[in-house]
Amino acid sequence: MAKARALDRRRRSVRNIRKITRTMELIATARFKKAMDRSVAARDYTARLAKILENIAAAGAGVVHPLLDVRPTKRSAVLILTGNRGLCGGYNSNMVRQSLAILGQCRSEQVATHVSVSGKRGIAALKFRGIDMDERYTTFEDKPEFDAVAPIGRSYLEAYASGAIDRLDVVYTRFDSIARQSAVTEMLLPLKPPEPAGGTATGPAMLASQDYDFYPSSESILEEILPASFLSRLFKCFLDAAVSEQVARMVAMKAASENAGGLIKDLSRRYNRARQSQITGEIMEILGGVEALKQ
Amino acid sequence: MATATKAPGKNIGKVTQVIGSTFDVEYPENSIPAIYNAVRIDADKKGIALHLVGEVQQHLGGGKVRCVALGSTDGLIRGEDVVDTGGPLSVPVGPATLGRVFNLLGDPIDNRGEVKTAERWPIHRDPPPLTELTTKTELFETGIKVIDLLTPFVRGGKAGLFGGAGLGKTVILTELIARIATSAQGGYSVFAGVGERTREGTDLWLEMQEAKIGDTGRSVIDQTCMVFGQMNEPPGARLRVALSALTMAEYFRDTAAAGADTLLFVDNIFRFSQAGSEVSALLGRMPSAVGYQPTLATEMGALQERITSTTKGAITSVQAVYVPADDPTDPAPATAFGNLDAFLYLERSISEKGIYPAVDPLASSSRILDPQYVGERHYKIARRVQRTLQRYRELQDIIAILGVDELSEEDKLVVHRARRMERFLSQPFLVAEVFTGKKGEKTSLADTIRSFEEIADGKWDHLPEQAFMYVGAIEQAEEQAKKMAAKS
Repeated sequence: MAKARALDRRRRSVRNIRKITRTMELIATARFKKAMDRSVAARDYTARLAKILENIAAAGAGVVHPLLDVRPTKRSAVLILTGNRGLCGGYNSNMVRQSLAILGQCRSEQVATHVSVSGKRGIAALKFRGIDMDERYTTFEDKPEFDAVAPIGRSYLEAYASGAIDRLDVVYTRFDSIARQSAVTEMLLPLKPPEPAGGTATGPAMLASQDYDFYPSSESILEEILPASFLSRLFKCFLDAAVSEQVARMVAMKAASENAGGLIKDLSRRYNRARQSQITGEIMEILGGVEALKQ
Repeated sequence: MATATKAPGKNIGKVTQVIGSTFDVEYPENSIPAIYNAVRIDADKKGIALHLVGEVQQHLGGGKVRCVALGSTDGLIRGEDVVDTGGPLSVPVGPATLGRVFNLLGDPIDNRGEVKTAERWPIHRDPPPLTELTTKTELFETGIKVIDLLTPFVRGGKAGLFGGAGLGKTVILTELIARIATSAQGGYSVFAGVGERTREGTDLWLEMQEAKIGDTGRSVIDQTCMVFGQMNEPPGARLRVALSALTMAEYFRDTAAAGADTLLFVDNIFRFSQAGSEVSALLGRMPSAVGYQPTLATEMGALQERITSTTKGAITSVQAVYVPADDPTDPAPATAFGNLDAFLYLERSISEKGIYPAVDPLASSSRILDPQYVGERHYKIARRVQRTLQRYRELQDIIAILGVDELSEEDKLVVHRARRMERFLSQPFLVAEVFTGKKGEKTSLADTIRSFEEIADGKWDHLPEQAFMYVGAIEQAEEQAKKMAAKS
């Protein structure tokens, strides 16, 4: 009986796990939809802003701004976006792996690195690996607000302007589509200088440049628009990370529910067999006893 | 062959009933043979000779006794004369038995002529009195990592190899013979083949003739005697063959030069219980749990209590125990458990991973895995390895459902090392060289302990898992990893 009972207990615990994973799958699905709507909305805005920047670059003769300066990297900053919660498959560990790569690179190039991490999981994992973190954020869930992201972005801008950092990399999971998310390391500062309108520029872009009149000057416009562009791109990273996390959780929980189902099936089969053989054994014993008594 | 102490022909009975491998004999009421007495039938019917030895098991009343046949009852008819030999079955003992192969009656079956010994000892004997038992406890090094680390054998103790069908019990047993019997230590070995394949017995016999002891140039067989009662024999024979072998071993223990270590190998002790159960029903006893004989524990106890070390000499025994249907709670293996100092449990799920010897590191254990006997360092690392593997096993359900990524960092590390330890417990065998293509490895206990400590401390985390398969000490794993890297 011992074996059958142990199997039954195990099966019950797996059933409970499946209940949890199934619920989490449904919740992740709902959250994913909302997060994706926000991300798509932000994507349009960011794309538009990038377009304007491109147009301005095409129009202005020489675009010069501190944020566009590429300086030799002496001090860099890395921002790593992970989740606050687990149960989302390889999402967090992919982030950790990705960030370890870039941190290792920084170390080998002997660049002083300012490390910021968002998400409890990433913080715990990096702490376990003995990496010093300068800044930790644990407030970003599945709906990051622009107002919360902006101060972080501004502090990076200030640091960059003052020369405290020469480069900013963001490690996050880019949301390409529902079927594809990729762990990437993206350089946000210095802002890549917009493609100068050269021979490759298309006709409409050339045309567009003539539609702009700068007032009071192109410099003052850039002063406004470059930080805005940076902030929106940073915000986009947070949004993408949030969507990707939900997708990862959805997929992981779906797989977990299926695995649990398979395990339950297997355990049930073994339980039934153990029970059956036990009953058979007992019947044999009783019959044997009866036969022996007959003689 | 049994000696008749009384003049033959004095006490003759007649067969009154034959039931399978038991038969009833009627004697004159005032001269019935004692229980366990051997009785002989020698008949010649139409030119077909019938020679059968039986053992008295029950007195049925009125001069009738019920006997178990120790050979085939084919051709036995009622009314046949049955001679009481006046004492239990006895077997030849002494140095002359070395190098020979016997059946349970003590008759040589290797076609090398008669065995002349000064003495014959009865196979039913009392276990040594408790005042003569030795309390010395000493580790017996085998050079097999998993055994030395987790289930250290005791010199002069008993070790059991438990396992279901086809998990490699016989292979481990022959490996132990190859390792222990070939080391030059001057001890004698006795091998009992109980109810297993005859072919395996032949293989072993031939191998022993080829194998040499250390550098002495003598064959292993010269120090060994073998007793077989294999599958083809009737239950009575399989029931008594272990006792015959044990009696020969006891002689070496009790009379050989002091300090001689005698080794007793039994393959397979479960067949002894099984034969007992076959006979039991024929004797009319009521079956007990799972259809076994009610006297299961008594029979096992009577045998096991005799396999012991005394102040005169030691018997170190290794016994294979078949586990029916992979269920260790089955009464036959369960009764054997309690009598052993060390037991190795072979697990199917481990053999399915291709890890041999398929010893389950968590279910196996040894009495002397205790800091008092093996030392603090050995004990600590053994427990540490077990803890790591235990944790890995607990996590397996979670990994199966959620995947490795969901584990905490600490648990990931546990899994990482546990998988390496699991593989490192495998080892190439001397007797399996032809199958694995790898030379057998003898790993010293010191190397084993050091290697596992280093794995547990994470010194070898960077090696791929496959590098830990079938190597000796840890340095060989490193070498194997280099070779693998060079290949790919």
